[in-house]
Amino acid sequence: MTDYIFPSTIEEALQARVAAPEGRFIGGGTDLMVLMAADMLSPDPLIDISRIPELRGIRETEEGLEIGAATPLAELASDPRLPSVLVQGAASVGSLQIRNLATVGGNICNASPCGDTITPLIVLEGELVLISPAGRREVAVAEFFTGPKKTVLNQDELLAGIKIPRKNLSGGSSFKKIGQRNGQIISQVNVAVWVKVKAGRKVGEIRAAAGSVGPVPIPLLKAAATLKGSGMTPGIIADAARLASIEISPISDVRATADYRRSVIGTLLTDALAEAWAEAEGNN
Amino acid sequence: MLIEFNCNGKDVSIEAPPQTRALDLIRDQLGMTGTKEGCGRGECGACTILLDGRPVNACLLPAAKLQGCEVMTIEGVSDGSGGLHPIQESFLDQGAVQCGYCTPGMIMSARALLESNPDPTENEIEEALAGNICRCTGYGMIIRAVLQAAKVLRGERKR
Repeated sequence: MTDYIFPSTIEEALQARVAAPEGRFIGGGTDLMVLMAADMLSPDPLIDISRIPELRGIRETEEGLEIGAATPLAELASDPRLPSVLVQGAASVGSLQIRNLATVGGNICNASPCGDTITPLIVLEGELVLISPAGRREVAVAEFFTGPKKTVLNQDELLAGIKIPRKNLSGGSSFKKIGQRNGQIISQVNVAVWVKVKAGRKVGEIRAAAGSVGPVPIPLLKAAATLKGSGMTPGIIADAARLASIEISPISDVRATADYRRSVIGTLLTDALAEAWAEAEGNN
Repeated sequence: MLIEFNCNGKDVSIEAPPQTRALDLIRDQLGMTGTKEGCGRGECGACTILLDGRPVNACLLPAAKLQGCEVMTIEGVSDGSGGLHPIQESFLDQGAVQCGYCTPGMIMSARALLESNPDPTENEIEEALAGNICRCTGYGMIIRAVLQAAKVLRGERKR
């Protein structure tokens, strides 16, 4: 029978993992329980980190915001301090029932290429705080993923939180995704955009990223570079949309074909740019 | 593992393997079969219960996570005096039940919505019920039932 532990501090959680390498950290459990029910996974013990106070909630710090890894997605989806792109990404994961359990740290560590909080965190330049018995390190969200379901997280490490730098809390941002229906659906493609306006209604800074279009979530570097410094005009947006469809590397799978993903990403990017730009101009 | 929680107002103390699904603990060990299993993987919402007032999928919930919490299942929705809750009355009144399998989950989600938002728009109801799938009704009658229940609970109509 599997042992189940509720550590009350990060240190206790790390010790439990060192003592039992066959164990797993569990946050909301919405991904793990599906695998366990299908007998694809039988970790022992389950180390439940969801009640560790330091891992919960969203805090303002000198550098910006810090989100505890065990904060449920429902909380991110309703926190007005967070940029729109992250609120929208969190709100689009699963159903309310899932978001009440599932944690942002779980969405990241599950490392699905279609995780809907990941592209928002990439465009916000999120930094992941990883803690192990050996100490603590920070890894950029964009550097965290090495393949589908694969990350740089070491076996004895715990994702404790996500830091968002203050400079990225202003500006405008947007998240768009498409799936086979609107509610409770896994992304066929998702796009996140963050943008800042500069003098003359030009694009000051801009970052974009796309999910479910490659082995890991992909920063849209070429699309963003073509927009930077320009006006947000239909011609430039069309260029960016075309570049985005080229710089992704989608496959055909159970959810969509590669061709469909390449053809739809431009539309999502166009919609996200319009919404993010409107917000950026409103905030300027 | 000894799991202690409050279920529908009553304290429960029960021995169960911690990774047992809360759904199985509620149905098989507590004998309350109103909570249904549909997909068993968090996609259909038939197993929706309220955990500390918030709707969650009981099929995705390890029983250990019930520890110390307040749980409400469909059996706890009415006040126990024998009558139905206004949400249940409204579902009957609007014909929002066909095969009935999704209904307990729908009612739990509706209950959580109306606790936090007594006067929801149709769109807000659609969003609150997006995690509950019904293959019979087409949802129109379910949404009308929740609108009606909201009116009853606000005291704007009798039933």
